[in-house]
Amino acid sequence: MAEILIKHLVKTFGKVEAVKDVSLQVADSEFLVLLGPSGCGKSTILRVVAGLEDADSGEIVVGGRLVNFIDPVKRNVAMVFQNYALYPHMTVHKNIAFPLEMAKKTKAEIDSAVRRAAGILGLDELLHRLPEQLSGGQRQRVALARAIVREPQAFLMDEPLSNLDAQLRIQTRLELIQLHARLGITTMYVTHDQVEAMTMGHRIAVMRDGVLQQIGTPQDVYRRPANVFVATFLGAPPMNLIDGALEAVAGGGWRFHGRDVDVALSSGVLSPPELQHEIEAHADVKLGLRPEHIRIAAPGEDGGIPGRVQFLEPVGSDLYLTVEAGGGTVQVRTDPDSPLQTGENVSLLFDAARVHVFGADGHNLRRDAPRVEAPAELVEAAS
Amino acid sequence: MAAPVVITEASEPHADYSRAARRSRVLWLGKGVAAYAVLTVFAAITLVPFLYLLSPSFRQSYELLTFPPQWIPHSLYTGNFHHVLHQTSYPRWALNTLIFAGAITAITLVLDTLAGYAFARLRFPGRTALFGLVIATLMIPTAAVVAPLYIMISRLPGWTHSGVNTYPGMILPMVCSPLGVFMMRQFMSTLPEALVEAARLDGAGEWQIFRKIVLPLMKPPIVVLGIFTFMFQWVNFLWPLVITTTDNMKTLTVGIASLQGQFVTDWGVISAAAVMTIFPVIAVFLIFQRWFVQASMAGALKQ
Repeated sequence: MAEILIKHLVKTFGKVEAVKDVSLQVADSEFLVLLGPSGCGKSTILRVVAGLEDADSGEIVVGGRLVNFIDPVKRNVAMVFQNYALYPHMTVHKNIAFPLEMAKKTKAEIDSAVRRAAGILGLDELLHRLPEQLSGGQRQRVALARAIVREPQAFLMDEPLSNLDAQLRIQTRLELIQLHARLGITTMYVTHDQVEAMTMGHRIAVMRDGVLQQIGTPQDVYRRPANVFVATFLGAPPMNLIDGALEAVAGGGWRFHGRDVDVALSSGVLSPPELQHEIEAHADVKLGLRPEHIRIAAPGEDGGIPGRVQFLEPVGSDLYLTVEAGGGTVQVRTDPDSPLQTGENVSLLFDAARVHVFGADGHNLRRDAPRVEAPAELVEAAS
Repeated sequence: MAAPVVITEASEPHADYSRAARRSRVLWLGKGVAAYAVLTVFAAITLVPFLYLLSPSFRQSYELLTFPPQWIPHSLYTGNFHHVLHQTSYPRWALNTLIFAGAITAITLVLDTLAGYAFARLRFPGRTALFGLVIATLMIPTAAVVAPLYIMISRLPGWTHSGVNTYPGMILPMVCSPLGVFMMRQFMSTLPEALVEAARLDGAGEWQIFRKIVLPLMKPPIVVLGIFTFMFQWVNFLWPLVITTTDNMKTLTVGIASLQGQFVTDWGVISAAAVMTIFPVIAVFLIFQRWFVQASMAGALKQ
């Protein structure tokens, strides 16, 4: 069990800067998910922590010990790979025993440790099998058993579920959550799947192009995205964005103007000084609305954004409408029993308190949205 | 919307069904026959020289030069084999060949797997250039280096006497196979990096990774390289011809060639010796051939 601290990590591959000055802290026993699209540097961070890559600069501290110049095995972290990386010529037992054999443990010690790990992951019956005789989910469990058998201070998991089919992924996800609850080992988990991130992580760190965008609890990151990227990366369907401009209204207050859209903004929700700055800059801003925060106006209700239904996507529990409105398309979550048909004209209403406004530089102008990340402060707070 | 098709047991099969099924079966049969015909032709082309070699080995020498040529011997005459075993140094040549080909194979496997691993997995300055150099040596024909090799081996500095007619002298120049290095490197490059990384995180050192992870997974290509090397060296002619001068150091190929007299050549005896020489090679191939097709990596990783 240990805290992991990453301070000002920079890693380049040739001319590609994979990780740009990332600082973050994973608390003892925490499950932190690194989330981002492929190539955002999340796996690189994991590999640097594991010791498979060297950092160009920055410090990696695991359990209070600077590990930059320590051999991977001595860092006492275990990694689970996306493709499991089981040794194909060894039985399940030998696969799990391998790290202990390398550590020159006695045969009795190895055997009892292997049986314990196999018991935790329900592999007792499979110990004599070869990896090729296992299903995808079983292979994944063997990889986990091999990771826990060493009793590491931390788990590093690199998209461990992405090779499983949908149903197995959900099941294994739950097993991983249970395993973490049971063992309480500090875990860094890399994924590009926002559902995994939302369901598994105590906190989520969202990455893009090697830069940490936001770090916070799943609810935090979803409800108060720091910028346009985070807002659209989390959520399926993603947050709707409507282009427009801000305008000050006589008597104090603001309005958002877009094509066919003209709405008053609540001063209680938005951050006045920044809003003022955007107005003075005459810059284009974006209005952000989650699909679940928009509703179709009942006949006779006024003040909505006019639109026309383009597609219907029923997903069973909900119905997603793609509506042509505000100079683009807006996705709306609605009742699956809604009688709406393609081509119908509708009016969209939304809760003004749920609105996000993103400035020209992409940052969220909500009062409660986190400001631009300040790594220095974070690091100070952590150390 | 079209009316749904209801399928009942009583439904009549489609009118064209049996005709289409017959046509498909005829086509399938036709393709099979054609494939067998082509394969038979190629098999015959490959086998005829062997049969042509086998036939005279069981005939007396006076039967050989009859016209038209006879393929089937009148009686199975085994005197040629007897002659080869007892009137020539064949057993000694066979021993020499076994030592020659066996030692070269063993040393080649050790060197080539190590070199292949280094080129595939280790990062060191000059790796690409060195590998290019190894590959470049493939372009030099053996015949071009035979003379300089002979001079080197016959006057090796530090050796008290010449390497000519000695096992080390015969074996050493043959043990480096650039093709083998290339082959091992290619196979090792296909091993998933994650396996090596996982082993490294599990605490394995470079040698342990090579010994416990890479080598076991390289078994099929290693066996293939071993068979190729052994078969190639078993029938190697040029280098043993140059480096051996005494009868008791000759290998089989050189020995058999020496059976050809200046004035009289007993083709029956030579054929018998040749048959006995290729038999072990065929045996080796048959024993290990399953490795040629074995894919050991199945199930290692979900791709």
